[in-house]
Amino acid sequence: MSPDLRLRSAVLAGKAAATASRMLRRGGGTTIPGDVALAVDPRALGKLAAGLPGGVVLVTGTNGKTTTAGLITTALRSNGEQVLNNSSGANLLFGLCAAAVADADGAGRMRSRLAVFEVDELWLEQAVAELRPRVVVLLNLLRDQLDRSGELETTAAQVGRALRRLPPHAAIVANVDDPLVTAQCLDLPGLVPVGIDADDFLLPGLPHAADARACPRCGTALLFERVVLAHCGTYACPTGDFVRPQPATAVTAIGAPAIDALRLQLSDGAVVSAAVGGVYNAYNVLAAYAAVRALGIDPTRAAAGIGGFRPRFGRQERLRLFGREMRFLLAKNPAGFDEVLRTADELGDAAAYLIAINDRIADGRDVSWLWDVDFERLARSRRRPKVVAAGSRAHDLAVRLKYAGVDQQRVTVETDPERALRRLATTGDPASEAVVVPTYTAMLELRRVAERSGAASAFWSEPVGTPS
Amino acid sequence: MSRPLRIGHLYPDAMNIYGDVGNVRTLVQRARWRGIDVEVLAIGPGPAELAEYDLLFMGGGQDRDQSRIFGDFTEHKGSAMEHALEDGVAVLAVCGGYQLLGESYVDADGHELTGLGLLDLRSSAGHDRWIGNVVIEADASLQLQPRTVVGFENHGGRTRLGAGLHPLGRVVVGGGNNGEDGGEGVVRGRLIGTYLHGSLLPKNPHLADWLLATALAHRDAAGLVAALSPLDDSVEMAAHSRALELAMAERGRRAVPLRGRGAPAADGRRGWLPYNPHP
Repeated sequence: MSPDLRLRSAVLAGKAAATASRMLRRGGGTTIPGDVALAVDPRALGKLAAGLPGGVVLVTGTNGKTTTAGLITTALRSNGEQVLNNSSGANLLFGLCAAAVADADGAGRMRSRLAVFEVDELWLEQAVAELRPRVVVLLNLLRDQLDRSGELETTAAQVGRALRRLPPHAAIVANVDDPLVTAQCLDLPGLVPVGIDADDFLLPGLPHAADARACPRCGTALLFERVVLAHCGTYACPTGDFVRPQPATAVTAIGAPAIDALRLQLSDGAVVSAAVGGVYNAYNVLAAYAAVRALGIDPTRAAAGIGGFRPRFGRQERLRLFGREMRFLLAKNPAGFDEVLRTADELGDAAAYLIAINDRIADGRDVSWLWDVDFERLARSRRRPKVVAAGSRAHDLAVRLKYAGVDQQRVTVETDPERALRRLATTGDPASEAVVVPTYTAMLELRRVAERSGAASAFWSEPVGTPS
Repeated sequence: MSRPLRIGHLYPDAMNIYGDVGNVRTLVQRARWRGIDVEVLAIGPGPAELAEYDLLFMGGGQDRDQSRIFGDFTEHKGSAMEHALEDGVAVLAVCGGYQLLGESYVDADGHELTGLGLLDLRSSAGHDRWIGNVVIEADASLQLQPRTVVGFENHGGRTRLGAGLHPLGRVVVGGGNNGEDGGEGVVRGRLIGTYLHGSLLPKNPHLADWLLATALAHRDAAGLVAALSPLDDSVEMAAHSRALELAMAERGRRAVPLRGRGAPAADGRRGWLPYNPHP
């Protein structure tokens, strides 16, 4: 292979940008090196990925990308693979390229054998074209940040276009409990349908945050036999033109002994334990297991590998701050919020919350979605939890909680991140665990407080592209 | 003993895209806190008698849902809506619902969709989408205290009012009806149409109470709208002030592309914020 000078220049320029970015303390350099490399060689990402003999796994969907990519990465590494992962969560093409540049040597040769990338739904098409992945994991398509992403139907159609561009041998691990996901991949050759056939944690009906209520074919209201979360479950169109496919691998029983533990019985006989909690994570663990299996790892080793995963960076991460155990549960949209509150309330028995709502571009400028979240749960909860309302839109949250019926005596507004955390530390029973539910940039701000106090390490100081 | 105040929520399953349920919840809670019995009824497809309600609410929807709903609305609800307006029913119509009450909507391809024709206003698709915080100064006829109304807009449509119609308010921050005449929304009698969606009423309790009071006047067949008993609105007005503060800080700032660096917006639209035609 003749040396590609353009690629070499791109990699070196990207690496220089990463160094400069760190020295200037401009953050972790999670996307800037990718920007620079792609400016020098627009095909840099595809060329670098072509040097990965084990190929590329892409993980996409509205919720659960970072956790699922982490589960797959951990499982592969424990099976001896050298895996590259954009673990910082930078999931646009620039972020993927930055991770690849960090993994490459000066000549553009990759140190890792295989890459597991999470990718934003709207970038999937470009990522597929560049990377020609072996496996694509499609987790769910839920309502998210309308001002930023546009309408859900449009996003779904774009994901469908991307999937139809996949190379013929690619596997599509798809959560077919989501009708919108199913509609995008039902007839595709590489489909590996996964879903939940367990009745352990069902909702009594479609929650307000459910979007895909109508048949994607004919528009008739879908009938749900099971609702697991949002619009995910076991459904069929009464006209018979659209039915949830039988999963190739299904969860047949969910054991959820704690806020941060799952034990899943699978239809192939495997039992998978993972250090993440909540029904929403059952979907993530199931998808990760199926992806690892699609890469040829046997059931026992796949299950054992997933068991080694530890949550990180605001997703079920546990930190001790100002003398109090706090669990960070990132939530970005109504479905995510509903599930996080459900997990904290039902499995964690939480009595003290810090809920932080920001309205920056990465969070969504529009906070009207707060009205689509089931905050009424906090009013119903037998623990009568106390809430610190935080973030730039703390006041909007306080109004939402008031109209949800949460007693005003139980709500405190505190917009400053450190003061909000200090307030939480002294809220409720100090021996009990406190729960922090932030939007994305609010999580960054709160975690920065934790970093300053030494309770957490900066996310960019975690190794990128090297096996742990 | 009077019957419960009756709120009709038009197409709640399809037209609920921007937290629109928050408007209904706000009306319900503010009625209950005053001891006013209230019921909310969903109004779906098919013929309906709308003058039986005291207040009608319609939100916005995703394009696919909206086009389905529009057909039903024009076919089955036109004369019922006209009757309801004549009868003095209070109406809040947001985004798509607002446009539909007018004469017509011309989409991006130049196709003209016929509206209900209940208001002398016309809408058409603009070249870009306006997304951002909005502040308006409400029309004096509403007698709101304070006069500011805060909200969020996310629309590609441009609406022009006929000569006899008043906008809901004058734009202080944001795009509004069309970015040229400085108006946002419409107010005619007991009807309000607006592009301000989702969390409009929770942070504007004075506007919520205006709607409640007019709805009560309909229920009680009263010619005059009576004042409501005051509530403690400190939480709501703190959010109002905060939204005002955040929006005013954006006033006149250069527009910023939403997804950055040529990223593909889902529907190919250009997303800019905040748009401010009146710096």
